[in-house]
Amino acid sequence: MKTSLYAGVALCTLGAGAAHAEDLTVFGPWLGPDQEMVETVLDAFAEQSGHNVSYVGSDSFEQQILVDAEAGSAPNVSVFPQPGLAADMASRGFLTPLGQDVADWVAENYAAGQSWVDLGTYAGPDGEDHLYGFFYKVDVKSLVWYVPENFEDAGYEVPETLEELKALTDQMVEDGETPWCIGLGSGGATGWPATDWVEDMMLRTQSPEDYDAWVSNDLKFNDPKVVGAIEEFGWFIEDDRVAGGRGAVASTDFRDSPKGLFASPPQCYLHHQASFIPAFFPEGTEVGLDADFFYFPAYAEKDLGTPVLGAGTLWAITNENQAAHDLIAWLETPEAHEIWMGLKGFLTPHKGVDPEAFSDPTLRKMNEILLGATTFRFDGSDLMPGGVGAGSFWTGMVDYAGGESAEAVATEIQESWDALK
Amino acid sequence: MHPALQGLLTIVIGVGACLAYFWASNQILDKVLFPAKGPNAGRNINRASMIRPWLFLFPALFALTLYLAYPVLETLRLSLTDRRMGGAWAGFDNYSQMFSEAKFWEAMRNNMLWLVVVPALSTAFGLIVAQLTDRLRWGNVAKSLIFMPMAISFVGASVIWKLVYDARPPGTEQIGVLNAIYVFFTGGEPQQWLTIPLWNNFFLMVVLIWIQTGFAMVILSAALRGIPEETVEAAIVDGAGPFQIFFKIKVPQIYPTIMVVWTTITLVVLKIFDIVFAMTNGQWGTQVLANYMFDKLFRANDWGVGSASAIIIMVLVTPILVWNVVQARREMR
Repeated sequence: MKTSLYAGVALCTLGAGAAHAEDLTVFGPWLGPDQEMVETVLDAFAEQSGHNVSYVGSDSFEQQILVDAEAGSAPNVSVFPQPGLAADMASRGFLTPLGQDVADWVAENYAAGQSWVDLGTYAGPDGEDHLYGFFYKVDVKSLVWYVPENFEDAGYEVPETLEELKALTDQMVEDGETPWCIGLGSGGATGWPATDWVEDMMLRTQSPEDYDAWVSNDLKFNDPKVVGAIEEFGWFIEDDRVAGGRGAVASTDFRDSPKGLFASPPQCYLHHQASFIPAFFPEGTEVGLDADFFYFPAYAEKDLGTPVLGAGTLWAITNENQAAHDLIAWLETPEAHEIWMGLKGFLTPHKGVDPEAFSDPTLRKMNEILLGATTFRFDGSDLMPGGVGAGSFWTGMVDYAGGESAEAVATEIQESWDALK
Repeated sequence: MHPALQGLLTIVIGVGACLAYFWASNQILDKVLFPAKGPNAGRNINRASMIRPWLFLFPALFALTLYLAYPVLETLRLSLTDRRMGGAWAGFDNYSQMFSEAKFWEAMRNNMLWLVVVPALSTAFGLIVAQLTDRLRWGNVAKSLIFMPMAISFVGASVIWKLVYDARPPGTEQIGVLNAIYVFFTGGEPQQWLTIPLWNNFFLMVVLIWIQTGFAMVILSAALRGIPEETVEAAIVDGAGPFQIFFKIKVPQIYPTIMVVWTTITLVVLKIFDIVFAMTNGQWGTQVLANYMFDKLFRANDWGVGSASAIIIMVLVTPILVWNVVQARREMR
């Protein structure tokens, strides 16, 4: 039934397109190999719809799109890497609402659908909420990486709950091993890996509503709930639990940090990082064989479901024409997802796709985590104002790893947030 | 169309249009407006030659207005409006908001620090190198080595120095030269140099000094060569030592050149952006004005405060620029 519906949508698109082919410009953050992949996807759409589709990529998307929109020469469809800017542009009337039917479709067909609808819904210039952004191509951050061979040798089991993960950590310390490799170093962006930790901990100790309130600062940064989440992260960077001790956490580069997993004897057994990290594994490492990952589990006793932290790109119409609406409609088809699934680096919460379409089993496994999510939340630091999310939050985490108290650090971050208003 | 072909076509059209403009405008002036014949021939020739310079100046003036005067005025206007209110007039709100921000004053303080340290050290090192390598046989080799950083982009230089300052966890091999030396000699823990408050500013400045010393050296060594031999010989005859010759004979004679070098580097420093952007992004108390402006304009999406800080940078640059031009002209005479 569903398939025939999709076929119908595709056919309508096809019919409408053939009737009057339009020019469609798509502007996004992807360059290089990613650009080729998105062009493959868009080519398929162009072929089916008959529209003339062209993609332009830029490494300074966020700066460019606003300038273009204000100059009145915005592309038809823009691909936002973060919702913050899209929300801002929606409130100033630069985005076109996608319509209730799209919202209903996302709620029904995406895993944790309502989360995705909420993430793409902003107040328009009239102050009313509409769905403006359609999420397509997402990332998962709630992952723990490990080397299966080391686990086997030491007789460790993959933990199912956060309690078990902590027990496993303690077990490793008892065995005289170092459980974790954690590195926050990232040049001018040093500190960001810790923000992912804190966000994951927020989702595992507080309700999604609290998380949203935290991101919008309705819940103060130095609220005990947030301080508690920071301290949860602090538990993992205590001296015996992390390679090099707490002092090394801030000074270790996040790109070098996972290498400890592969040292012989292993410097550590566990590493918390997003889906992109295999790029920094030693050369020749085969994910699934030499390295693997599991879902960063939630507390069994807290009853918060299986929250997943991630990020993703949302597609929005910045210059309305029929072709733009056709493109969004086409993104609802499983085919639009399966094409990129067959390439690389693509995850989707779309429940109707064929998992066999993934080019490699690792991605399929990651996608299962995404599909199993009861709550999906977007990377909080990306949603906060730049001065906090890409500033004081980062530096605060460096200070925290350096020994300052969570309370003091959180208060400092809150003060910097107040200063922005 | 192939991009190369497009480029070629653009050049042809551009150059062609320039030629056409000069030819046609002169034709109109000479043949139509003030023909050099008839009863008023003499008066017409005078009038035509009064207008002709403006014809030649017009394209430059037009471009200056379009690309310099207009953006400045527009920036000034934007700095008095608010993006969030749809571009409504905001008076000096942006300025007062900016002046109340700690980050702005941090940027001001750091810019001043840069302003004091970088031009002084670059010029001093340039002068020393120019003097020391003056008569050496391998002086030119040394000079080209020191000049080479000038050829590297600011971002490229930042990447190089970021590796110099790199820190690895204690116990592992240090790939950053500075930490390798530090750990070897002191036996202490490797330092995150770029996060040490206040000092990190100086670690950033080193990059610009490294780049600008070559520039100062080239200009100053040309100036040193231009000093008349007689004055130096006379000083030697009078029994002056090498230091006296340097400080009392040579430096005063090239003083105007030193000032030009100094102010030129000062201008570069006031606009410094790339190094800070690439190395710390203004974190850990290393913010500078230009990076602050970028932050406001493109991260906070606040054109008001962004433009206001651009105006501040312009106000700070202008007097130095004027002085620089005056000095350069005086020296040319």
